[in-house]
Amino acid sequence: MEKFFPWDVSVIFTKFPTFLHAALITLQITTSGILVGLIAGFVFALLKISYNKPLKAIASTYIFVVRGTPLLLQLFIIYYGLTTVVAIPPFPSAIIALGFHNGAYIAEIFRGSIESIPVGQMEAARSIGMSYRKAMQRIILPQAFKRAIPPLGNQFIIALKDSSLASTIAVPELLLRGRQLGSSSFKYMEMLVIVAVYYLLLTTLLHFILNKIDKKLTSGKRKARKIW
Amino acid sequence: MVRVENIQKHFGSLKVLKGIDLDIQEKEIVVIIGPSGSGKSTLLRCINFLEMPDKGKVFINQHEVKTNNHDINGLRARVGMVFQHFHLFPHMTVLENVMEGPVQVKKIAKNKARKAAAELLEKVGLSDKADEYPEMLSGGQKQRVAIARSLAMEPEVILFDEPTSALDPELVGEVIDVIDDLAREGMTMAIVTHEIWFARKVAHKVIVMDEGKIIEQGPPEQVFDNPTHPRTQQFLKQVFNE
Repeated sequence: MEKFFPWDVSVIFTKFPTFLHAALITLQITTSGILVGLIAGFVFALLKISYNKPLKAIASTYIFVVRGTPLLLQLFIIYYGLTTVVAIPPFPSAIIALGFHNGAYIAEIFRGSIESIPVGQMEAARSIGMSYRKAMQRIILPQAFKRAIPPLGNQFIIALKDSSLASTIAVPELLLRGRQLGSSSFKYMEMLVIVAVYYLLLTTLLHFILNKIDKKLTSGKRKARKIW
Repeated sequence: MVRVENIQKHFGSLKVLKGIDLDIQEKEIVVIIGPSGSGKSTLLRCINFLEMPDKGKVFINQHEVKTNNHDINGLRARVGMVFQHFHLFPHMTVLENVMEGPVQVKKIAKNKARKAAAELLEKVGLSDKADEYPEMLSGGQKQRVAIARSLAMEPEVILFDEPTSALDPELVGEVIDVIDDLAREGMTMAIVTHEIWFARKVAHKVIVMDEGKIIEQGPPEQVFDNPTHPRTQQFLKQVFNE
């Protein structure tokens, strides 16, 4: 029996609480990263749709570079690569990397949702004398934000899971904690299962919150209907 | 009141407007007809710069509108526009749709704007829909709200871009009735429409466009009963055969 099931299930339960602190750090990196990502994403989305060519080019370059390179590389560039100029500690490095990485994807989500609003909305807003800015604020963005929520939710979940890469630069988050406890106790599988359960709990929680927000904003308008 | 001079517009290699002159007097109702693709809608959209004309000038009360944000936004606040597909703001209630312009552009106090909006909704017969969202309304009701939204800015002239073309036939009447009421009140209007019977009824001046040019204009009796241009004769024949 030992050979077929060499793991100690009871350890999973007894050691579960010792990961709580690491889980909080994962949550912190994720939420801070998402916050930075939302701000960067919003700004770069507006630059990307602007009529100003240089600004547009800056946004396109940012998105091109970030989406075309691995997050792990970006993290190393910020943590190791920049040390000669400015030494950023692991925790902020992880937030910056996660934030700007997600910013590029979120910029594309916002841009897509803004461009999905029919052009007639802008025309109607402008035709009652609104400036471009006002029309954006009052008419386009409120509608675009609603449409952005489902894809943003997906991105947040990806960000949560990607935060595990911070373990490579010694941020004591869930995955690093699992590896450390695994190597010190030789119970790798047990510890990694605990990590997996934590991630599942966190993603489920995030799903739940996002669903609530989406439901509230669409208030039953987009009810799923069976089509025969 | 509104005058355009030598408006030209092309999309790619297609010349849509080939130099249009048009003068809309105060309290005048100008109806623009013509086959599809003749440039009617583009002309209307050039008047308030939703399309930027390649050439030509727009005057409002003798003042030339320069192509800068200040002048164009100023013009748009005074020239209402009603679209074929309504373009109501779906995230706002009917009442909020009507209030939006006065509150955001004219900076009118909310309670005052709300009262004025409620009166306009009553005028278009939709008081009971004030707190509904646009998606709950029929096409005809949406267009009446769109007209109220335009009226809320107290425009000096309203441009109607095929206001009934997207409606089910049985809903055309209710929108026409509202426009008809405005006509009787002396509202200055330019209307692009395919409803010839309505044009005949309300128009002071009928303009027939074809291939980017005005080919005929005059009072409705003259244009409809004794059209001189062969293209007008052909177009009217087609319309009446339908």
